Amino acid sequence: MNSEVALLNNYLAVGAVLFGVGLVGFLSRRNMIVMFLSVEIMLQGVSLSLVGWSRFHNGFGGQMFVLFMIAVAACEAAVALALVVALFERRGNLDIAAWHGLREANQPPFREKPLPEEPSDRPQALPRLAPAGARPETPSEDVDYRPEI
Amino acid sequence: MMFATQIIPPLAILLGAAGAWLMLPRGAARGRGVGIALMAVALGLGASRLPYLGGWLAESLFLALAAVTVVSAIGAVTFRNPIYCAVWFGQSLLGMAGLYLLIGAQFLAVATIVVYAGAILVMFLFVLMLAQPKGRASYDRVSWEAPLSAVAGALMVGILSMAIGGALGQGGPSNSPGRPLAPPSQAALVQNVLAPQHVVRFGGELFGRYAIAVEVAGVLLLVALVGAAVIVQQSQPTGDDNRHE
Repeated sequence: MNSEVALLNNYLAVGAVLFGVGLVGFLSRRNMIVMFLSVEIMLQGVSLSLVGWSRFHNGFGGQMFVLFMIAVAACEAAVALALVVALFERRGNLDIAAWHGLREANQPPFREKPLPEEPSDRPQALPRLAPAGARPETPSEDVDYRPEI
Repeated sequence: MMFATQIIPPLAILLGAAGAWLMLPRGAARGRGVGIALMAVALGLGASRLPYLGGWLAESLFLALAAVTVVSAIGAVTFRNPIYCAVWFGQSLLGMAGLYLLIGAQFLAVATIVVYAGAILVMFLFVLMLAQPKGRASYDRVSWEAPLSAVAGALMVGILSMAIGGALGQGGPSNSPGRPLAPPSQAALVQNVLAPQHVVRFGGELFGRYAIAVEVAGVLLLVALVGAAVIVQQSQPTGDDNRHE
């Protein structure tokens, strides 16, 4: 096989795999932001194919396509993340299943199966002391502190 | 022997689907390590069927960059913590930029890093910091129909690879059946796509033949900016006195 054809073949194959990976993520994940990341992965797969064809046809058309795709992806990210923030403010979480009221009329409602509590990564190994004296005030920084996000 | 080489691509796709199913978040279910092993075997099998690029340096560079890109994309899709998803996606973008460089699209490599990894990814992280609850939320620990979506992805990859094999199998791509397009010669490539003054050629094409598209893209960016501002403002809780001033 000619080396240029081999290069095109390899780039198209990697683009196809990226598209498939993004498709799996979009269909299966429930976090709206991760769904959106999966769509970006699908876009990357298509961009890779376009650049491969651009090289094979010895023209800049495919690369121009990818440049405009980047511009449109930036617009899309701005609008979609604004929508995500708006949806988050209504429901208080990023779960797409919180919007199952938008399903089709003949579909059953979504019911979450109960999950077992996840074991904490950091075991609480603090010493227990007998309480004595006045109860100290907890600073607000300690109350709001989140060790992980 | 012929049978053995023909069975490899569907086997790789099946193993990849099983690996993706096991790697996706499925609540308390185990089997993530098995999924990673299956996915690694599938990627190796798939890579073994790719044609040789005609040079050990190009071949090893391509394989390394493709591995970084695909493995990071899989990580971005399967990790439970969305912050890790975003970071894996950034690494996938770096691999993409390397692949662009390898094929000679220098400007796109830099644009990918600057615009995607620099701006869009940071925007993702901002929204995650704004909206992510403490700890791992239940909706990050369990996915929708993981087996069905893995099957859908496997079907997609299978159809696409069959299409690629059908289009490129007989000596190269063709516009009409039986007459494959001649692949570009190295001299012609250096004249055009691989010219030493890449950005000069790229910019000349962009602001010559595609000048109207540049204008339209500018308008689109402005509209998206205004639209994002309007969406966020309208989602603010009503009753704010300053809103109607």
